[in-house]
Amino acid sequence: MSKKKLATVWLGGCSGCHMSLLDIDERILDVAKLADIVKSPVVDGKEFPEVDIALVEGSVTSDEHHREILHIRKHCKTLIAFGDCAVMTNVTGMRNYFDLKDVFETSYVHAISNDHIGLVPDHPSLLKLNDKVVPLQEVVKVDFVIPGCPPDADTIFYVLFEFLNDRIPNLSEAKKLKYG
Amino acid sequence: MNKISVTIDEKKFDVEPQKTILEVCRENGIEILTMCHLKGIIDIGACRLCLVEVEGINKLLSACTTKVAPNMSIKTTTDRIKRYQRITTELFFAERNHVCAVCVSNGKCELQNLGYKVELDHIRYPHLFPQCEVDTSHPWYVMDHNRCIMCTRCVRVCNEVEGAHNWDVMNRGHQVRIISDFNTPWGQSTTCTSCGKCLHACPTGAIWPKAIVQGQLEKNPVMVTELVERRKMKL
Amino acid sequence: MNRHELQAIVEKAKDKHKQMKHKICVCCGAGCISSGSEEVLKKLQDEIKTRGLDKEIEVVPSGCMGPCNQGPLVKHLPENTIYQHVNCENLDRIIQSQIVEGKPIEDMLLFADSREKPFVNASEDPFFKKQLKIALKDCGDINPEEIEDYFAVGGYQALDKALFRMSPEEVISEVKQSRIRGRGGAGYPTGLKWETVYKYVSPQKYVICNGDEGDPGAFMDRSVLEGNPHRIIEGMTIAGYAIGASKGFAYIRGEYPLAIKRFEQAIKQATKHGLLGKNILGSEFSFEMEVRIGAGAFVCGEETALIASIEGKRGTPKPRPPFPAESGLWGKPTLINNVESFAAIAPIIQNDGEWYSETGTAKSAGTKVFALAGKINYSGLIEVPMGTTLREVVFEIGGGIQGGGEFKAAQTGGPSGGCIPAEHLDVKMDYESLTSLGSIMGSGGLIVMDQSSDMVDVARFFMEFCMDESCGKCVPCRVGTKMMHDLLQKIYDGKASQIDLDRLEELAVYVKETSLCGLGGSAPNPLLSTLRHFRQEYESKILKEA
Repeated sequence: MSKKKLATVWLGGCSGCHMSLLDIDERILDVAKLADIVKSPVVDGKEFPEVDIALVEGSVTSDEHHREILHIRKHCKTLIAFGDCAVMTNVTGMRNYFDLKDVFETSYVHAISNDHIGLVPDHPSLLKLNDKVVPLQEVVKVDFVIPGCPPDADTIFYVLFEFLNDRIPNLSEAKKLKYG
Repeated sequence: MNKISVTIDEKKFDVEPQKTILEVCRENGIEILTMCHLKGIIDIGACRLCLVEVEGINKLLSACTTKVAPNMSIKTTTDRIKRYQRITTELFFAERNHVCAVCVSNGKCELQNLGYKVELDHIRYPHLFPQCEVDTSHPWYVMDHNRCIMCTRCVRVCNEVEGAHNWDVMNRGHQVRIISDFNTPWGQSTTCTSCGKCLHACPTGAIWPKAIVQGQLEKNPVMVTELVERRKMKL
Repeated sequence: MNRHELQAIVEKAKDKHKQMKHKICVCCGAGCISSGSEEVLKKLQDEIKTRGLDKEIEVVPSGCMGPCNQGPLVKHLPENTIYQHVNCENLDRIIQSQIVEGKPIEDMLLFADSREKPFVNASEDPFFKKQLKIALKDCGDINPEEIEDYFAVGGYQALDKALFRMSPEEVISEVKQSRIRGRGGAGYPTGLKWETVYKYVSPQKYVICNGDEGDPGAFMDRSVLEGNPHRIIEGMTIAGYAIGASKGFAYIRGEYPLAIKRFEQAIKQATKHGLLGKNILGSEFSFEMEVRIGAGAFVCGEETALIASIEGKRGTPKPRPPFPAESGLWGKPTLINNVESFAAIAPIIQNDGEWYSETGTAKSAGTKVFALAGKINYSGLIEVPMGTTLREVVFEIGGGIQGGGEFKAAQTGGPSGGCIPAEHLDVKMDYESLTSLGSIMGSGGLIVMDQSSDMVDVARFFMEFCMDESCGKCVPCRVGTKMMHDLLQKIYDGKASQIDLDRLEELAVYVKETSLCGLGGSAPNPLLSTLRHFRQEYESKILKEA
């Protein structure tokens, strides 16, 4: 069996899921036997290459994320929504109950640390936040989901290991379902 | 009392009449999912999780409000029922803003447990993201409408057990909200006795005491049931 | 007052009418009032008086005559000549020509602007010819504000017959024999319902009349309540006698102030004449009645929610069983029927059950009132025998589609019903046939649509209605209708994919099967029926997968 190509992506999230991924500790060696991690926030890589499995953390919050997830979908065989934010927006979605303008003003203008002189950043090179944060499934087809904030390292390893061995994992059967 | 015979999931049981399907199932170790049911307060059949199929009736019946009848044949785990339980759970999650990660109830929440039981890994419907208030006006407790699932257990326990009737419901459809008195801040309530029963009756993190942080809330809904049972014994 | 004293009053009322040569009815139903019929009535009454004709010509306000969009209507009896679009200016012509000279005015007759030859005797007009009025009989011919007018057409004779010549069992058996089914929409056999309530032993039982008519485009109950309130009181009182109830509630929606006013007035008159209250007409039977006003919630048309509302609680439905027949208002056995069902009771008792059952089809006896609305030439209120085809209703009675348009679909049953497409125009309008097409009889709203109607939009409109009117108690209806509405909007906006359509269909079946009450249980019907008959309209709006 040839080695698989694995990518992990960090969209609108806190990177906690990636921290949890690192918590699989020495089991990363088992993963490394079966796959090359070719793209990840912890691995430098400019272009997103063709991969077998993409673990995508975080939700789609901006035009940049939107382009990125469409690109990833095109270049991966199995897309896994990784963590509560990717699955159901979670904390990143908490701004959805407010107007984006209010969110910006709260953060940049009215925040005490700004001494009331803050300005809302507005530069053409900056990404544009979408009005509403959406989970991955509302933009692209998602093949598998791992809920949890963050998902347990055991769960992450279980899912990866199953996929790398060409099996479809089952979280509820494996009693690894968890939100929050 | 003369017992009657009913069939539940192809097994025969001799049960007491006048009991509901839910009571009979629970007594015989058959699991029925519920959200709005709390033993000790009046059942309203609102969450639709306890729906069962009864032979000869083409409608699904809520187990909590339907009484057993002689020779009733009940099915609790058909594919259709399981499918509907999953959709109901999805709608619960999609309706308000359930962010488990930051919730006081995380890990001890009836809604979370329901999700695990129906094997829900994601919600297929778009979240509604309604703007909900968090009422922190009460000196001890918080009412967070983001996490409310409108089971109205708080309303019923306050009315039926405490007798205060602080809580009620306003508006219609997906705009319904639990209100204190005539939709005034909880802290200004003239009826609330601050007894805390609603807090324990609440299945999620919607009502919680202020001295609690994320994931630390322990609720004791059985307290309500025991209270009602003890009162009955005294009578 | 005992029955003999009443008989004397009835005779006097009949005599008074016999002395009159003519009776002129000015329609004072809500529709005609809004187009100015009250001024017409006042002017006509004044004119008749000044000309000294008031000894031989009686001018009265009446209930709805039927062709509502031709109003204000004035009817000249006994010739049965109806004039349309009457106003204070052209009224003089009627007085001069019709009343003084006895010559009908051709260009003001009913449908004069659309028929080649309008009819002097309106009952010969196709609009009326195909109709058979049982529930609406007398509505439009009598003054709903005068009990004497009702006496003169045989009013309260059925009550007299029931009280003095029939036992409660016989009354129930007559209703059963008539095979009348609930006119509120569900079509449960009325006689069976009465019998069930009768069988429950309780010192206190109640009769409730459901007048919380809330379907968009429906105004059957309003017209009966406004046009002949005594008929309902009589029906309810007979029901009270049959099942052993001593108290009745008429639950009328607050949006019908005229119906409420006239009904309350009718209760007062009936009480004064000993037709309500203690020992009715000198019999052993006592029955009181009260009006309860709905506060605008559509869901209160659902019987258990209506009962909660009368009890003073939030109007939310309860799971059944127990049915109201066993445990209804304040936990007591309660009979709850629709206005139109009660309107048919007096004729059933006065004639007999068999007479009623001869009209209609094998499974749906009697007549049904429909409120015609939409893109139809003659909109208004009609009553036809069950089993009349949709084609007859739309094209013969309703005069076809406005502006020569093409019939696309008819929506029956309001937000709980469905759409019937053109290929099923020959469907018989009865409970079973409509259900088999994915629609329902419902309370009788019939909205006709032409080619300009977008069926996805129609489904979206009704879903929005259900979403707003859901009481919010159970999850499927509260959240499901909102989800379905949002999905329909997405499809309508051309932004949805096939997955969205699949989800919508799954949700529709789920909401239908799991909702607590009939509102949620039938909310997906407009969606499901348009999907069934007009699926291509949905599919043409779906984004093709990239």
